[in-house]
Amino acid sequence: MIYIQGLVQSAILLGAILGIVAYLTWLERKFSGRLQSRVGPYLVGRPHGWLQPIADGLKLISKEDITPSRADRLLFNLAPAWIVVVSLLGFAFLPLTANWVLVNMDLGLLYFTAIGSLLVIGVFAAGWASNNKYALLSSLRSAAQIVAYEVPLLLSLLVPAILAGSLDFKDIIEAQESYWFITFPVIGQISFLIFLLAALAESNKMPFDLSEAESELIAGFNIEYSGMKFAYFYLGEYAHLMAVSLLVSIVFFGGPLGPLLPGGLWIAIKTLAVFLGILWIRWSFLRIRIDQLMMLNWKILTPISFINLLLAGLWVSLNL
Amino acid sequence: MPKKVSKIRLIQAIIFSLWVTFKNLFRKPVTVQYPLEKRPIPDRWRAGTFALTTDKETGDENCIGCKLCERICPSDIIIVELEKHSGRGWAKTFILDLQACIQCELCVQVCPTDAIVMLRGLATPVANRQDYILDKEKLMENEKLFEAAWAAGLKLQKLHEPKQTEVKS
Amino acid sequence: MEGNVEERVIERDFGELALNMGPQHPSTHGVFRLKLHLRGETVVSVVPDIGYLHRGVEKLSETLDYDMLPPIYERDDYLSPTANSLAFVLAVEKLADKEPTKRANYLRVLTAELQRVSSHLVAIGTFGLDLGGSMGGGATLFLYCFRDREKVLDLMESLTGTRFHTNMNQIGGVRYDVYPNFDKDVLKLKDYLEKQVNEYRTVLETNPIFLERTRDVGIVTPELAKEVGASGPVLRATGVSYDIRKNKPYSSYEDFDFNLPVGTRGDVFDRYLVRIMEISESLSIVTQVIEGLPEGPINSRKPLKSALLLKPPKGAEAYAAVESPRGELGMYVLSDGSSKPYRLKIRSPSFSNIALIPEILPGHLIADAVAILGSLDPVFGDVDR
Repeated sequence: MIYIQGLVQSAILLGAILGIVAYLTWLERKFSGRLQSRVGPYLVGRPHGWLQPIADGLKLISKEDITPSRADRLLFNLAPAWIVVVSLLGFAFLPLTANWVLVNMDLGLLYFTAIGSLLVIGVFAAGWASNNKYALLSSLRSAAQIVAYEVPLLLSLLVPAILAGSLDFKDIIEAQESYWFITFPVIGQISFLIFLLAALAESNKMPFDLSEAESELIAGFNIEYSGMKFAYFYLGEYAHLMAVSLLVSIVFFGGPLGPLLPGGLWIAIKTLAVFLGILWIRWSFLRIRIDQLMMLNWKILTPISFINLLLAGLWVSLNL
Repeated sequence: MPKKVSKIRLIQAIIFSLWVTFKNLFRKPVTVQYPLEKRPIPDRWRAGTFALTTDKETGDENCIGCKLCERICPSDIIIVELEKHSGRGWAKTFILDLQACIQCELCVQVCPTDAIVMLRGLATPVANRQDYILDKEKLMENEKLFEAAWAAGLKLQKLHEPKQTEVKS
Repeated sequence: MEGNVEERVIERDFGELALNMGPQHPSTHGVFRLKLHLRGETVVSVVPDIGYLHRGVEKLSETLDYDMLPPIYERDDYLSPTANSLAFVLAVEKLADKEPTKRANYLRVLTAELQRVSSHLVAIGTFGLDLGGSMGGGATLFLYCFRDREKVLDLMESLTGTRFHTNMNQIGGVRYDVYPNFDKDVLKLKDYLEKQVNEYRTVLETNPIFLERTRDVGIVTPELAKEVGASGPVLRATGVSYDIRKNKPYSSYEDFDFNLPVGTRGDVFDRYLVRIMEISESLSIVTQVIEGLPEGPINSRKPLKSALLLKPPKGAEAYAAVESPRGELGMYVLSDGSSKPYRLKIRSPSFSNIALIPEILPGHLIADAVAILGSLDPVFGDVDR
């Protein structure tokens, strides 16, 4: 019985996430359009292009699925599936209201970051299997980048965990009853900023989208993909971005906490705000170079996040 | 070494970039959704299609078949055949291939009788390439479809007339 | 083991990766092929390959009459059409000894400078695409620049009838006179553009990412620039103050007061800076034209009736150069006494400028290679002709 309940619950969650992700792409196109003095999607589902994600999906399904002749077929076909599965797995551990979570786990935060770092395998496999020089360069870049940014990502996430005294999302939310961790003087803001930058780098978003760098590497690791397989990459990317936004809203903005409105709505509002913030950054900055990216990570973000973690630990141990 | 930008300037710059994009978020988009709304077409528009005009009073066609436009067309898309009757020349056939037209308006500029003009309207899209080869009937019909643009042969020639005193000085 | 660590690292050579960049590549600015040899991501050597857009304009011009040719040349450098026809028209005027009127000269300057603004806006916008990709901030800069360029094109449209291939120049003068209230439109456009350009400058020139990406990248020394015959913003960015508008004024440029923005280091940033400062200078020239526009005819020849009438003397030859947005654009015309040129040679600025690529690209990362290519701003219609 409990298995069936779990199955139904996860199916509902999956469907909801896929639907939301589809409309997040619409939101991004609309948002970036307005940012650039354009209109964005317009004609499909006039006047706001409501049906654009569905039209996109139909178009991608009906496209020819091409596998390059010299490609590693198994890896080539496995990589998109890997990306989608891994990025959807993250949602299992994130609480969506104050007391509803698909898999309740003591080590939720750790698990989430562990799952997130598995994305690199999919990206690398895609780039390697494509048998394309641009894709190869891109996957090498991507591997270096994601592995490097894992360090500040985790270190900056540990700060709220230390402040809450737990890796369980529920405890982290409960610990924010009196104040959100983003409002914690200095430590909170620094760890938020570092997490945001590292998360941008990990999910290949501007200004760190080096593995997709379309002006240099054309499309990077997904250059040889077409049709639905390409759509999987897109899906995985946006699902991951949404998971990151959700995580930020839980860990730094108190998740479901807030006056008047129910917790689920609060978390939705906060997630959307963080998502739009990420988009805003994405469409406002130019791309940085690979050596500058590494320099930023190892020389600035990692030391600062270590010091930050140390300060948080000192504060907690001195106050308790 | 490049000039080091101070940390405060750096943060300022980042915030300013974000501010500029944020400002544009609330601007009215500049996009013109073409089939739904149309840009006003200026008077001197010469990116459209052509017409052969007729005389307003007598209803005769203005073209006298002088072949000046055929001669000057840089992409060689006009073919005129001359016939002579009732005291003047007529264009027996007048074929204009709109596909290769570069919209330079030289044919309009040389026309001594204002016969060929460009129209203030977009060339209607066609399904068949043949339909872009405009023969005399189509060109005559076009006159009724759109109003003529500002430029016409005599007008341009008058505009280009160097006054004698000016040239000597 | 006497060999130290560093030596052993060098011995582990994974070889070079030959990467074929182009002719279909989002940031080669047209159909351009670069045969890159990479070591890691660093460019070791590069062989540029051109010719994918060769249209035979020079040969084509031997079959057409002089008066039919200006519209053809507008298609040559497709980002600044007026400069091309202006160079041709100046050359033929020298050849046939026809002096254009003062008003025609001013109007030629007007369209040329407006198109310089539009061309530089394209250069900066696509440079943004090179640095930022089409899925990020680069696209934002690109679309802002194109939004502003649209205003210039709208003005050209109401002046001449088409947005782009204006056909303003004809031998002996210009084809279109200004319409009433044109000066108001121009001044409105100038105010708008100056505001926008200042905004872009504030955003870009303090932006740490932009500075990091462009400073000290792709440095061209003045000697190298002169050696390959570079001109235009690429040459001026190296610190050489050479501009045909100043050094050999044509078409009444001596009447206008403007500065030449000059760089100091000759890197990618300086090339960007020279371009964006030239926009302001061009706008100031445009206002001077509007203020000082002399009365009089716009054409010094008889109105164009037949293309057969212009027959320069046999054996006459002439070279006229203009400062196109990309540099020195020269046309050399040789006459055989008929109404068609016997031979016509175009000295195109983009062709000379991209000769810098094999000299400055090696040693840079592939991301910088794209930035350098974007900063040279070649137009392949102009390179291949």
